[in-house]
Amino acid sequence: MTIKKGISLALLVIGVVALGLVPRMGASESLLNLLILMFIYTMLATSWNILGGYTGQVNLGHAAFFGLGTLTARMLYTGGCPLPLAFLVAGVVPVVFSMLIGVPAFRLRLRGDYFTIGTLALSQILYITIGNVLPKITYLPMADIQNYQILPRYYIILALTVFTIGVAYALVKSRLGLGLVAVRENEDAAESLGVNAFAHKLLALAVSAFLGGLTGGAYAYYQPSYYFNYTFSPPWSLEPVTMTFIGGVGTVHGPVIGAIFFVLLKEWLVLRVGEYHLIIFGVLFILVVLFLPGGLVEAWERIRRLVARRTTVKATAPTACAGGNNLPGN
Amino acid sequence: MLELEGVNAGYKDLQVLWGVSLRVGEGELVALVGPNGAGKTTTLRIISGLLKPTAGSVRFLGRQLDKEPAHRIVEMGIVQVPEGGRVFTGMSVQENLELGAFTARARKEKEQTMKWVYQLFPRLEERRHQRAGTLSGGERQMLAIGRALMAKPRLLLLDEPSFGLAPILVEQIFEMIAEINRQGVAVLLVEQNVRAALELAQRAYVIENGRIVGEGSGDALLSFESVRSAYLG
Repeated sequence: MTIKKGISLALLVIGVVALGLVPRMGASESLLNLLILMFIYTMLATSWNILGGYTGQVNLGHAAFFGLGTLTARMLYTGGCPLPLAFLVAGVVPVVFSMLIGVPAFRLRLRGDYFTIGTLALSQILYITIGNVLPKITYLPMADIQNYQILPRYYIILALTVFTIGVAYALVKSRLGLGLVAVRENEDAAESLGVNAFAHKLLALAVSAFLGGLTGGAYAYYQPSYYFNYTFSPPWSLEPVTMTFIGGVGTVHGPVIGAIFFVLLKEWLVLRVGEYHLIIFGVLFILVVLFLPGGLVEAWERIRRLVARRTTVKATAPTACAGGNNLPGN
Repeated sequence: MLELEGVNAGYKDLQVLWGVSLRVGEGELVALVGPNGAGKTTTLRIISGLLKPTAGSVRFLGRQLDKEPAHRIVEMGIVQVPEGGRVFTGMSVQENLELGAFTARARKEKEQTMKWVYQLFPRLEERRHQRAGTLSGGERQMLAIGRALMAKPRLLLLDEPSFGLAPILVEQIFEMIAEINRQGVAVLLVEQNVRAALELAQRAYVIENGRIVGEGSGDALLSFESVRSAYLG
């Protein structure tokens, strides 16, 4: 157990160090851009997974958190606010907003569907409102655009990604994480064991909103220009769900794997089939939910078990043959 | 240790309990029996704080319970085994038990309590790494009880532990309940299986249409004419 933990920790450190060294090994700017995209999508999926995967409260309005994060960070950053503070506030604003839906839905013990529809509705309202109030393109400050530096963006967003995964890991390994899973599995049973379901759901929502907002902060810092309401648009709600399920819902590494897979496949598809890639991802999502509910993580587990069985069969095969030879010969 | 006095309760406009009073003493095994829909489960929900009474009082070890949220009541030592067990099917037996020791009080003694639970239910130890969803009905009920014990209850509330089980398993489960009680845990047992419950319990209450209509020692109620004709045939 501890050896296995040590190995995964070592792999993680090697991975992060390797990612840190990539720019020094003469990586092209387009490769760095691709990696940054993977980082951002990893953050997005990981933040969604805390509420949707671990706590079982399906949020179809994650774009609201992400969008508020981009809006806040962009406004503050272009207004001259120091970057760390902009990131922090980008996380806090969505938390406050999330309570609008979280407190009433969880306090009244409304069934999960009400929460889901509520999140969808609120994110759509925000999307439309921002489109009306701020119907324009936002740019990074002139100084940033004229001398756009990808390297600091690469490193900072890498750090934010590591932070996000770290928070998710610490949370699910803690006693709180245990409570979250209990609430997902069976709320009544969880309460009968002393889990305060309301507080747990609210906490998961807050953490999910904070990290979702932080993801938005990363995006606002990275992207030179976009329409203000673009980051509130439905794909930012649906893609984290797709990625998480493809990777493996309710696991720490699932969203990471899902995000990498998603970004690669999306880049490849967009070049070839354009907007039709949405249909392909829709179908893929349905197939995964139907036939591989644990996502790629589960697929990997199945393969490993199959291989393990094969090797044990091989190992025991000679003795089985020897036993078989005894019978007819003698 | 537990005292309900004149409790009224219900859901929205539907009043289910009418002036229910009952008492469970330290280390006692008390049964609450009655037909379907009489208010047995509602009474348990009142005690465990999942439902609040509209009138009357609930006291535990001298403290008022009616304002406390459910998770605080567990912390105080009242733990319910919900009807049908409601085990976490996606988790292993061991993980289910670990979740049972969620409260701060139970967490400190988790290792010892788990040893005790495995002693009581050796079957659970054999299957500790198996997913709870693959257990049989009887094993699930054992797991549900074991998980509740992990929370270190002073008073254990059992909701229809015989539900859906074969008679031989019911006997085993009831034997375990008696054993748990002998080891010092007070038990309030809600049952439709009236005969078995009355044989097991030291005292019992009969509930009908949301009212307590009979009270006495288990043996006395067994020979009580109206109980005999109504439930035992």
